[in-house]
Amino acid sequence: MFDWLANPNRFNRITEKIQPCILFITIITLISGLYFGLFDSPKDYQQGDAVRIMYVHVPSAWLASFLYFSLAISCVFYLVWKHPLADLVSSSIAPIGALFSVLTLVTGSLWGKPMWGTWWVWDARLTSMLVLFFFYLGYILLSNAFERKIDGSKTASVLAIVGLINLPIVKFSVDWWHTLHQPASIIKIGGPSIDDKMLLPLILMIFALSFFSLYMIILNVKTKLIEKKCEALLLKSNLEEISKTG
Amino acid sequence: MLYLKDVTIKRGLKTVFYNWSAKIENSKVTIISGKNGVGKSTLLRAIAGMIPIEKGIVKNYNNEIFKDQIKWGQHLIYIDSKNGLSKDLTVFENLKTWSEMRGWKTSDDDLQKALNSVEMLNHKNLYISQCSEGLKKRAALSRLYLSLLFDTEFWLLDEPTNELDQKSIILFNKLIQRFLENKGTVLLACHELKLFDFNYALLNLDLLKK
Amino acid sequence: MSLQSSFIQIFISHIKREFLINFRSLVDVTSIISFMILIVTLFVLGIGPFEEKLRLISNAIFWIGLILAIIPSLEKTLQRDYENGWLDQAITSPTPMELVLLSKSLAYWLIVIIPLLISLPLFIVLLNINLKLIPWLLISILVGGLSISLIGIIGSALTLGAKRGNILLPILIIPLIIPILIFGIGISEAVRINESPLNNLFLLIGFTLIYLVISPFISAFLIRIAISR
Repeated sequence: MFDWLANPNRFNRITEKIQPCILFITIITLISGLYFGLFDSPKDYQQGDAVRIMYVHVPSAWLASFLYFSLAISCVFYLVWKHPLADLVSSSIAPIGALFSVLTLVTGSLWGKPMWGTWWVWDARLTSMLVLFFFYLGYILLSNAFERKIDGSKTASVLAIVGLINLPIVKFSVDWWHTLHQPASIIKIGGPSIDDKMLLPLILMIFALSFFSLYMIILNVKTKLIEKKCEALLLKSNLEEISKTG
Repeated sequence: MLYLKDVTIKRGLKTVFYNWSAKIENSKVTIISGKNGVGKSTLLRAIAGMIPIEKGIVKNYNNEIFKDQIKWGQHLIYIDSKNGLSKDLTVFENLKTWSEMRGWKTSDDDLQKALNSVEMLNHKNLYISQCSEGLKKRAALSRLYLSLLFDTEFWLLDEPTNELDQKSIILFNKLIQRFLENKGTVLLACHELKLFDFNYALLNLDLLKK
Repeated sequence: MSLQSSFIQIFISHIKREFLINFRSLVDVTSIISFMILIVTLFVLGIGPFEEKLRLISNAIFWIGLILAIIPSLEKTLQRDYENGWLDQAITSPTPMELVLLSKSLAYWLIVIIPLLISLPLFIVLLNINLKLIPWLLISILVGGLSISLIGIIGSALTLGAKRGNILLPILIIPLIIPILIFGIGISEAVRINESPLNNLFLLIGFTLIYLVISPFISAFLIRIAISR
């Protein structure tokens, strides 16, 4: 399917049609998710209203991880089948994934203040998320660190794949470290059991943010395609000018 | 016969060769000439297997050479302006580690003969960091003598005469003569053609690429 | 062919070459040790001269010092041979690049580990490390050092030819190294509270084995990209 979609024109034609649908689903699920999350769901007996941060925090955390996975898969496609569109997809995913990992960290910190009394606690999940953010950052920095874009794309793709192997180990080791040093249980966002009434807005928000990021990624890829076209046109007109004068 | 058929070679996004074909005779010297930036080095590096060939095939006697990069590596020596010498090692140590890297069992005697062939024996304990460009080039070219002792088929040389003085060029010519006697093939990128006293075929990229 | 040597011999000759290059100048080796001493000094100056605090975090200081001291010299491991064209020679030779890189990372490991092991008594004194910890510390430095150099060679290959590669390298490497730090300190901590450090050690060994398998292939892939520029 990827190969079939990898034609830029076909990609443009198809996304032209599905983009409005994605936007529509995003808006509907976001509004309903926010409504249920903010007004029509119970307070947590321990956390009070602060539990409502969960409806942004948990989907963002989930998306940040999922987007990294898709980033790495798209990098595999790029390195194995060498299709430039796969590179555009991975470089479009990276900033959005980074954004969601930051959002996770910020909401986690906002939630932490009333719960733990400090803005930041070295909780296992937050720490893993911080590391994930640095994997995104490394990818973005490395892909821009070379004189020619294509060198950056290839090298950064390898990094993303190494990250895919390494991240589960980091996650495991951080959990391991956490049980080692802090055996006492502390309150976590979206703790062990969730009320059914909380589950509905949570699922709605996961859908909303997933479709939102899909929309943004498509938009990003399209922008990059147009940029590429501009560069090619500019190069062509320069060459024509040179051949005229020379 | 080294046969390049419809090859496309890219460097970055720039296509240097597009659907390009050429034949290179075995047991002969072929000099690749052309303007700066026409793709002499790119061609040599592609044949050496450092730049991937996007499309097309390169055959040596009906064997596709890139099917087995390791085997192809056994048959070729590549030397360019970077020389591949570590500046923290002496001339002798560089040659020794180089031949060990290729998995060749060479005696110190062979190594000394190799250095002698480019008149570097007196400088064998000099660190590369202390060598002039000409000496470095000669240290690199001493590998060519060593490769005569093993079954090497190809020498791919990128501008080997650039830093050499008159006397060293004579030595270099002698090495090539010996290699030709061994039925070796030399592929050489160079600007100046007057320096060589052997017969050569010319591959002029300025003309052939149009 | 009798003239050809086996992979093991090629492997050993590579290690010899790296040793010749690195131990001749001794600059890298001495700077690793001095850098580590300075990091330890900074830590101690930072927390103040309280023995209690030091005892709590001496293991952490040791491991962080170790990692930070190794990182600056990592960039050079491949950069030098990339710039002088030696990697070109390696790739056009009959030896597989993966073997070259595996021997390079093992050589780097030995080059870093030997001076650190020699200076270990110094750190034991400086950080007031418990004597019963020493055998465990030795093993964990040996294993952890190997995985750091295996990951380091990937980092070094990633930044070949990159702009500001020296700044980029730590950002790329440190997230990958986190498990080593955790398992390494886990070993020391377990010994400190009189528990068996074996599970941490096994995790560290497992982590190292993963990289022992994948690191030569990944860095060879990266070097082929770098050379094709």
